[in-house]
Amino acid sequence: MKRPVIIDCDPGTDDTIALVMALAAEELDVKAITTVAGNQTGDKTAINGRKIVSYLKKNVPVAHGADKPIMRPLVTAPHVHGESGMGPVELPDPVTPTLDIKAWDLFYELTVDKSEKVHLITLGPLTNVAIALMKYPALKDGIEGITMMGGSACYGNDTPAAEYNIYADPEAARIVFDSGIPITMVGLDCTHKALLMKDEIDSMASVPGTGAKLAQDMMNHIYEFATRFGFSGAVMHDPSAVTAVIKPELFVTAPYHVVVETKGKYTTGKTVVDLMGVTKKDPNVNVVLDIDREGFVQLVKKLLKSYES
Amino acid sequence: MKKPIIMDCDPGHDDAIALLMALANERLEVRAVTTVGGNQTSAKTLINAMKVLSFAGIHHVPVAAGASKPLVRDLEIAPEVHGDSGLDGPELPEPAFSASPLSALELMEKVISESQVPITLVPTGPLTNIARLLIAAPHLKQKIERISLMGGSAVGGNWTPAAEFNIMVDPEAAEIVFESGIPITMCGLDVTHKAQIFNSEIEEIRQQGGKVAVMVAELLDFFAKFHQEMGFEGSPLHDPCAVAWLIKPELFISQNLHVDIETCGEYTDGATVVDIHGITGKEKQVDVVFDIDREGFIQLLKDSLQCYHQGEVRS
Repeated sequence: MKRPVIIDCDPGTDDTIALVMALAAEELDVKAITTVAGNQTGDKTAINGRKIVSYLKKNVPVAHGADKPIMRPLVTAPHVHGESGMGPVELPDPVTPTLDIKAWDLFYELTVDKSEKVHLITLGPLTNVAIALMKYPALKDGIEGITMMGGSACYGNDTPAAEYNIYADPEAARIVFDSGIPITMVGLDCTHKALLMKDEIDSMASVPGTGAKLAQDMMNHIYEFATRFGFSGAVMHDPSAVTAVIKPELFVTAPYHVVVETKGKYTTGKTVVDLMGVTKKDPNVNVVLDIDREGFVQLVKKLLKSYES
Repeated sequence: MKKPIIMDCDPGHDDAIALLMALANERLEVRAVTTVGGNQTSAKTLINAMKVLSFAGIHHVPVAAGASKPLVRDLEIAPEVHGDSGLDGPELPEPAFSASPLSALELMEKVISESQVPITLVPTGPLTNIARLLIAAPHLKQKIERISLMGGSAVGGNWTPAAEFNIMVDPEAAEIVFESGIPITMCGLDVTHKAQIFNSEIEEIRQQGGKVAVMVAELLDFFAKFHQEMGFEGSPLHDPCAVAWLIKPELFISQNLHVDIETCGEYTDGATVVDIHGITGKEKQVDVVFDIDREGFIQLLKDSLQCYHQGEVRS
């Protein structure tokens, strides 16, 4: 049976690859895509989300969410994702409309009082989810779990201590981490190992179809950027989170107690993982620590091929 | 020439072993021992340092009492690790000498000003004394060659999820020290959790001869109990790493990095924020130690203790 999911994202170069994969995966039933300000502004990530869905000819609703973090000014990442948020890729104007319903209202409609619970995949700052939890406390009963790209048990990438998605809206992250919803945290501990090497990206050039072309253009862009920072391949942050829902057996996870720092001078946005169990508090997060990289690459290839027809 | 050092400590089982390693080594000259509140109260850590030196027959090194509490916070101690005395385990006689009439701050100032060559500081407790020295006598900074300290962590903490005990007890002091401009070697949990001693090695120390080795084995027996309950296979010899790095740096692997100290966090006070990817572009002021040749390190400890047995340590 297909697993019903909502994908909340800020496309986003690696978000795009994650969407290409999720929309092709037979294991997933993507009920909706919601967008949030993060890698780029709310307007840009919203239109990018619609462009991607249109281009891939998928019939999935796209709803616009928050335009800024709940308490802080928005800090985008144009140096990573470009001015449009789509790196070098220019897609045609979308035919997919914007829903006249906000992301958090759509979460509610699709989850509460439904016969099956929905899994939430988040690929950007957690603003939409936090707003939804504030507006609809009952939401947590309709969400089976959250698999997020975000955080880190060790080092950060936006600051030495914090990963970008959490750092961008730490108060939202805190609301989500404290919500009681089961969380799988696909953080930098995992994603920095989810690398696509040059030859692997090149080998995807022969795969026909819209999905492969779009994903491969993004992979090349990310590869060029990541290798400038010392990585040996293209870092697949968001695709890792989608993969963790499609094929959880490819990952090593461990349960830990995790809190989000919101007040530090140098550590705001840090996901503080109690690796040694010193707090004696119950684990609230499944922290992903490792990935079967080869298995991940195989899955990427398989999903890209499904756009052939 | 021997490297002149000041040991600033809060004994503490591993502090005691660090002291004995430093005092026995021919490459180091311990010019003073200063104590600080940390593992136990400052009254207890002072008496413990003096007991350890007395027991080892060392009377020429002045020992001075330092700060009884952190710069701006209340003292937090660790009796669950070190016992009620701070040095539970062996029965040690009362010290055979008196403490220096000087305070730790005064003694450090005196030793550093009178020295012809720069002094290396080896703090193995909270950094309160060192911060006070740097605030009270900033002109002495240029005569401090390096600070080789036990504290901090690049990854997880041991007292809170984010912070190691020594830094967490006095994060403001740590911030002053880390921003002082003095080169720092940080032997944090990244390396000290790899610097474990196992039960079989404790037995070897007990059997190697000499009352100092037996006393160290008894300290380690007590220390091992706590760590085994925590799930460690052996006991991390935290503080001796900061000494061993000065004696045999070739036993260690470190990386020169920028480190900030968190003092305003809700969950992260006392975290040593290590900029492993060079994101901040700030000056790399700390040699962060990540790995150790564990067997070489244990051998160094055994060799140090052998010096006491063979009467090679200056009384």
